[in-house]
Amino acid sequence: METFIDLAPYTGYVYPNETVIPWTVLIVVYPYLTGLVAGAFTVSSLYHAFGMQRFQPAARLALLTALCFMIFVPMPLLLHLGHPERAFNTMLTPHWTSAIAVFGFFAGFYVILLMLEIWFMFRPYIVRQAQLTSGLAGRLWHVASLGSYDLSPKAMRYDEKWIFALAVIGIPAAHGLHGYVGFLFGSLKSREWWSSDLMPVVFLFSAVISGVALLIVLYVLSCKVRKIAIDLECLKGLAYVLWGFAMFTLVLEGLEFANIVYKGREGVEMIVEYVTGPLLVPFFILQFSIGALIPLAVLSYMIWRGTTGKALIVGVTVSALLVLFQVWMMRWNVVIGGQEIAKTGKGLLSYQLVLLHREGLLTAVSVAVAPLLLLWAAVRVLPPWQTTATFSPSPDASAT
Amino acid sequence: MPKHIVRLIVLLVASGAVALIAKWYFTVESFYEYGHYRAGSVPEIAAQEPVYKTARYCQSCHSERHAQWSANNHKSVTCETCHGAAQGHPEKGKLPIPADTVKLCTLCHEAMAGRPGTQPQIALAQHSGGQQCKVCHNPHAPKIAAAVIKVTGDVAAGRQRAAACASCHGPEGISPNDTWPNLAGQSAAYLARILAAYKSGDQKDVMMTPLAQALSDGDVRNLAAYYASLTCRTIPSTARIGDAAAGKALAKNCAACHGATGTAGNPGWPHLAGQKAGYLVNVLKAFRGGLRKDPMMAAVVRGLSDADIDNLAAYYAVQSCRP
Amino acid sequence: MKREAINSLLARRTFLRKIGRAATCAGAIVAAGALGVTKTVAAKGESSSSGGSFPTKDYDWTKHQWAFGVDATKCIGCLRCVEACKRENDVPGDAHHFRTWVERYVYLEGDKRARIDSHHDPVNIEASGSEREFRFANRYQGAKVEKAFFVPKLCNQCTHPACVQVCPTGATYRTQDGVVLIDHKYCIGCQYCVQACPYGARFYRPKERVTDKCTWCYHRITKGLEPACVEVCPVGARIFGDRNDPQSPISLFIRNNRVQVLRPETGNAPNVFYVGIDKEVS
Repeated sequence: METFIDLAPYTGYVYPNETVIPWTVLIVVYPYLTGLVAGAFTVSSLYHAFGMQRFQPAARLALLTALCFMIFVPMPLLLHLGHPERAFNTMLTPHWTSAIAVFGFFAGFYVILLMLEIWFMFRPYIVRQAQLTSGLAGRLWHVASLGSYDLSPKAMRYDEKWIFALAVIGIPAAHGLHGYVGFLFGSLKSREWWSSDLMPVVFLFSAVISGVALLIVLYVLSCKVRKIAIDLECLKGLAYVLWGFAMFTLVLEGLEFANIVYKGREGVEMIVEYVTGPLLVPFFILQFSIGALIPLAVLSYMIWRGTTGKALIVGVTVSALLVLFQVWMMRWNVVIGGQEIAKTGKGLLSYQLVLLHREGLLTAVSVAVAPLLLLWAAVRVLPPWQTTATFSPSPDASAT
Repeated sequence: MPKHIVRLIVLLVASGAVALIAKWYFTVESFYEYGHYRAGSVPEIAAQEPVYKTARYCQSCHSERHAQWSANNHKSVTCETCHGAAQGHPEKGKLPIPADTVKLCTLCHEAMAGRPGTQPQIALAQHSGGQQCKVCHNPHAPKIAAAVIKVTGDVAAGRQRAAACASCHGPEGISPNDTWPNLAGQSAAYLARILAAYKSGDQKDVMMTPLAQALSDGDVRNLAAYYASLTCRTIPSTARIGDAAAGKALAKNCAACHGATGTAGNPGWPHLAGQKAGYLVNVLKAFRGGLRKDPMMAAVVRGLSDADIDNLAAYYAVQSCRP
Repeated sequence: MKREAINSLLARRTFLRKIGRAATCAGAIVAAGALGVTKTVAAKGESSSSGGSFPTKDYDWTKHQWAFGVDATKCIGCLRCVEACKRENDVPGDAHHFRTWVERYVYLEGDKRARIDSHHDPVNIEASGSEREFRFANRYQGAKVEKAFFVPKLCNQCTHPACVQVCPTGATYRTQDGVVLIDHKYCIGCQYCVQACPYGARFYRPKERVTDKCTWCYHRITKGLEPACVEVCPVGARIFGDRNDPQSPISLFIRNNRVQVLRPETGNAPNVFYVGIDKEVS
């Protein structure tokens, strides 16, 4: 008899086919990655679309982060599919009633959008590199510049228009890219824990805070590594965004849970038993208390007291790390938690996470960490750091 | 427009065209024909070969068995349910004849909560003590045909006729010795059946045959009714011929028909409680040797040793015949 | 003035150049699209010109509307149906993948909720001897049972299937004769359909790495046979037939009984009709 890694022990009564849990930790990693992409892009759009100057130090890093994570977004899905070689079937004959069918188009469109925006942003740098380097690298830079070294004010105006347009289009695109995942879960009738009209909104807002939190951590880290001063205005701005969205996320998640319990539909007893039992620690303690309430408290305190300097940096970074943890737990509690409540409404299963397997913990961690390695390489090729040599003036900025 | 924008737009449009061409090229034949699916998969699925072939298929070679099966209670149980799917048969060899019938038959017939009362169910231990089902039951005609008929007869007329039987069977149906059976309180349907059998020659006994042949059908019924009306008595025998305790263990296998203590539930089968031990020994040996004909009894006693027979007889002989 | 003339000429030329480029691009897109359309249309034309019945020449799916009935008052929980289905359809031979299964509901004296079990319960696996054989353990032998019954379950072949709705590729679909099938050559194994089914009827085949479910033995019913489970049921607890035929077993079953379906609130409109189930069965 073959052993199935997803074979789940259970209590109560579950349907015989439910004892193999279909969606594993990789399906937790996937919305986590798209969430980081959506959140990072939101930060960059705050600068490029809404013209909020204070986010300039982090804006370019945000875009690169978004692209690096976006490239790895299909990985957990391909590793999970039974037939990854047939993955393009969803794009050849997309069944438009299925949320998964839009994935290929959203992802493809969004990758192109990100690449375009980054290309436009870095074009002066690319042109300079094409002019300065020689050999194979020089030829690659030349191809990247599309053979045009035009950096005249007229050309730059076109570039600015494109960046603006892409930043604006990119916001609904990013939110669609991640929001559809929430819809994927929320639209199902079969699982009470998932079925909710609020699910896409909850996913979206928690995505934004995860991306902002990631950016805080990366920005602080990059400044520390490059031994330059952290722009406190930028950091404070990011903290405000994090604080505001985190509050709203908490309210939404609370509303969603309250709805389930208050409506008290058939099967609610099992949900309550589950949430107060196996899910007590991951949900109330890890996700809510440690992951949501503590960072909110810390941020609120710092904003109230006008904290600045090192204390601000430490406080905001710690809050960001906790928020990253919160969003991971939220994805876990939704995806795995939903499957641990049996469709019968009369039983509970227990997901077995294995270390070494195509869909095991090691794979999940690798897929989640790989984008950071790619980012590390990307910032070497296209440095997002502020220098007058690399960037031309942005539309309504005074000076770089 | 600046050169790089133009080239970018051309690049994007070209990529779009390539994507559309790729979609056209790679989309499988027959998709969208009847809906959003590959129409070719429907005939593929329909073309799979059935594994279970139905009883009609078995009938083509096993017509006799099929006829027996379809005329009896198990006609709702297809051949393949017990013998396995007929795919590849007879090309790949014989289908298994189930050896462990207890395991197989109890799947349906073990008394279990949730089974409707219309389903014949048995508590295995009490029914046959773990004996294989096919010892008594033919799986293709499982119902044991006992002539469960209500016998109506004139007890008074029977008493008159029974005067001739008293020399062997006793004036009150209690036999004077160990060899000839008690008749008092015996099941009327059984008595009628056995007398009729002696009369017709289905059963042969050197003593009973001529006596039975002198009886009319009415006599048979009356005698049966008369003896059935008498009060039975268990008289402990002085001769120690067997171990009743050992017999009790063996009697579990007989309980289904003859009752746990020898009082049969079905009037078609004889009561054994309080019956003469010597008679029982002779009769069991007669069944075993084929001198007394009953296919079911023959199958049951086939495996009994002389000691077993003695023990069984000893057990039933001391059982109380009053429920 | 000359400059203006030159400017306007330049402007005109630039404009024409723009138009020319736009037209070329548009033309490329239209051509590609047209190619795609013609290919699809050609495909349609080919098959409909082949004429005859579909999917096989002896079976026309437009002439049938299949439905299934379950009489839970008759089921004895012998599990011959489960075994036959596994054999007929090459279902993975263990206690975690089933195209059809039977549930047992037992109320002991004083129970307000039913005690439910099925084949994956370790007690029943032990009773049968292995995961490959199926038997209900006689676990309530000594107890005071107030009410008990068996309920066979299988895919309901819904009229508005949630599983078909969520399939991203179109690998699962509903046929014109009312059966929901899976194209194992097209399925990518994402298991969204497994999640979407409210009845737990679908599962993932680990060896073929695609999803699977009961098909009402489509390969049998298109040949005039009955599904394997209906064939072997010894007590007639499973009923199958064509609703287009008012005298078919299923039409009579629906007409002569008060029937109900599982989880009607989902709006899936299932096509397996139950008689004799209880408040706890869902």
